[in-house]
Amino acid sequence: MDLTRQTAVPDHGWTQHYDIVQEMGDCYATVGDYVQAQDCYERAAMLAPDEAGPYLGTGVIALQQGKLADAEIAFRVALRLDARCSKALAGLAMIAQQQKNWQTAFDLYLKSLELDGDNLTALLGLFQVSCQMGSFARVIEYLNTYLNLHPADTAVMFCLATLYLKERQPDRARRILKDILALEPNNTDAKNLLEEAENRIPIPA
Amino acid sequence: MTADQKTFQRPRVPGRGPLVTVLISTYNRPAYLAEALDSIFRQTWPNFEIILTRDGGLPVRDVVSQFNDSRLTFIDRDQNRGLPYSFNEALSRAKGDYVCYLGDDDKFFPHHIETLLRAISQNPDYGVVYGDLYKAHCRVLPDGRRRVLAKNVEISRDFDRMLMFQFNHALHVSLMHRRDLLDRAGRYNESLNVLIDWDLTRRLCFFTDFLHVPIVTGEYYAPVGDCDRISVQRRKNVNDYIRNLLTIRTTRPPKPWPCVEDSAIVVLASRLDGALEQMLRDIWSHSFYPYRLFVPLTAQERQRFQSCVPNLVPVEVRPEDSLPVRLNKMLQQVDAEWTVFLPAGIPIPPEEAMYIERSLYPLLCGRQTHLACQIVESDNSHFGAAIYTDTLRKAIARHPALDPQQALRAAEIPIRKPEFKEYPFQFDNLLSGAEMCQLDGQWTRAARVYDYMAEHHGNAIWMRTRQANALLQAGYYAHAARTIAEVNRIRPTVASLMIQARAEKKNNRPQIAAGLYRQAAGILDGQSTGYLPAAADILIPKTQSNTASVQPVETCVWT
Repeated sequence: MDLTRQTAVPDHGWTQHYDIVQEMGDCYATVGDYVQAQDCYERAAMLAPDEAGPYLGTGVIALQQGKLADAEIAFRVALRLDARCSKALAGLAMIAQQQKNWQTAFDLYLKSLELDGDNLTALLGLFQVSCQMGSFARVIEYLNTYLNLHPADTAVMFCLATLYLKERQPDRARRILKDILALEPNNTDAKNLLEEAENRIPIPA
Repeated sequence: MTADQKTFQRPRVPGRGPLVTVLISTYNRPAYLAEALDSIFRQTWPNFEIILTRDGGLPVRDVVSQFNDSRLTFIDRDQNRGLPYSFNEALSRAKGDYVCYLGDDDKFFPHHIETLLRAISQNPDYGVVYGDLYKAHCRVLPDGRRRVLAKNVEISRDFDRMLMFQFNHALHVSLMHRRDLLDRAGRYNESLNVLIDWDLTRRLCFFTDFLHVPIVTGEYYAPVGDCDRISVQRRKNVNDYIRNLLTIRTTRPPKPWPCVEDSAIVVLASRLDGALEQMLRDIWSHSFYPYRLFVPLTAQERQRFQSCVPNLVPVEVRPEDSLPVRLNKMLQQVDAEWTVFLPAGIPIPPEEAMYIERSLYPLLCGRQTHLACQIVESDNSHFGAAIYTDTLRKAIARHPALDPQQALRAAEIPIRKPEFKEYPFQFDNLLSGAEMCQLDGQWTRAARVYDYMAEHHGNAIWMRTRQANALLQAGYYAHAARTIAEVNRIRPTVASLMIQARAEKKNNRPQIAAGLYRQAAGILDGQSTGYLPAAADILIPKTQSNTASVQPVETCVWT
């Protein structure tokens, strides 16, 4: 019996101080207190200079404030520190999207999703960009993958239904919309889209 | 305000109320000594004396001269003689009613002495009181400053005497004891070079119960990477460490022991051979409860017998003496309340850390004097058991020709093996179970076990913190937030505040979460200690149960 181990309380490890300041920054960013958030991210970067998190946070608040150039620098620093940072790639994609560089945004969202198929921001961004570009096949694949992991995410289900309609697959769209309404009977968007889908005729395969 | 609180008042000037002696020994760490001393001079309890010993190493006179205070005594010695010697040297000059300790790179929070003193004043039956400490993981910067990376309360365990025989759960810097207890327990053992604090606390627990106050009253530092602590460096020598460990485990302070019932291990052997010598060594390394080991030896065997096993009592027998006769001769010398008799050749599993305790503990807990609790590994061919010594004596006296098993049966003494739920450390077994649940991702089940433990096994703050963490991981954010909020209302720590912040964040209350993170960061930055004076009234117990009772593990916990 290892009594030494058992007497320890949950240990947040050596990164505890960094985690606290970083997560505090995220909370401030959520409520729109960007000054406090920025201050937290700067402290977090000092505590853990090799972590991408503080630069990611800085990029997010710059993006929310419309400072695209600052956001891009921050996301690129985050990527340099962690080349597999899916969120930084999604951030760069959002910048490209805002600049209407659809193809760049599309590629970056795809890269982001390759690293983290669970990244909802990238998924929804990819959906929006693909709607602009009229290219849906890859997006449908990612949305389905995501829904396998999160089967009750009605927002993503709605995106998928929309894409199926655009791809002229109203049967699939209808099935998903009915699933949404089973989960959320008062979902007006789903009701409206279902009504539209009911009027579409499926194209034979 | 309660009557107890009214009687405990902080004096405004030194010289009033109990005097507390604080001992510090320093060796080659002048950079942090000033902070350590400063933390004592900032105590809310003014009636203390400090005895600082320089145990060789770098000079610290410049540091000491910064504190022009008559309460500080400085022993400036060039020769490095080790911590036990330094403490003993300082203790010979100590005048305090109570003694506490501080490492030369550690810190007391301002309420340290007052909190412990108040607790022990309100519970005068206790001779020792201890609080909790933060272990501050830090990175040492090139200029010597310490950047704190984390502060965790690594040990917050209610006193358990059986555990104290096995593992020190009262950290030295968190400890305060009556000085006169050392007259009975003895001072520091200068032959040890690690675990000297455990050696002392273990000996103290023969004479008094310990009172645990789960309030964080100080912090000690652990640099990331290679730690410079002497005790850590010395633990790297495994053989030496084990020697120290086993020496401590077998140390027996002078009797009488008001808090511990003694045991004797009686070995039933017909001859001395290599197997018996190995068995004696195995007993030494597989048992931790205080005992003396009685071994029958003929005059010839005694001449060639050289054992390094401590507490061994050779009992002279004749070569032709039968085992019952040998047993009888040994029992005549036993002065312990409890006896464990073991036949030579009985297996001692290498992984078993509480070989005799599993059978002894149920008897101790229930004070069952009319029961023989069989050794788990014993059988009819190798029969061993723990039993009340007088009961065994009477059975043997009535049936002198029988072997012990037959004698006990003839005397109608019930014999049985202990059940698992009667073993020592049921709390730790439950804890292991909960940790296994966590490893398997069964967080809800783990939360239920912690809840059960908080209700039935003490250590409530610690268990509630774990319960809240498990609830958070299981996705029960509101329940987690409620549970940990109760903990934080009386004892906020960095970890518990962090758990609440994460739960509130998941509850979509980022503003509240940010406030909790800020509070946690304040403790990490050293701007706050997290101490809540009102909470001390809740956390300083008026009475505390110290006898770990046998707690059957209810199956409902696991279903």
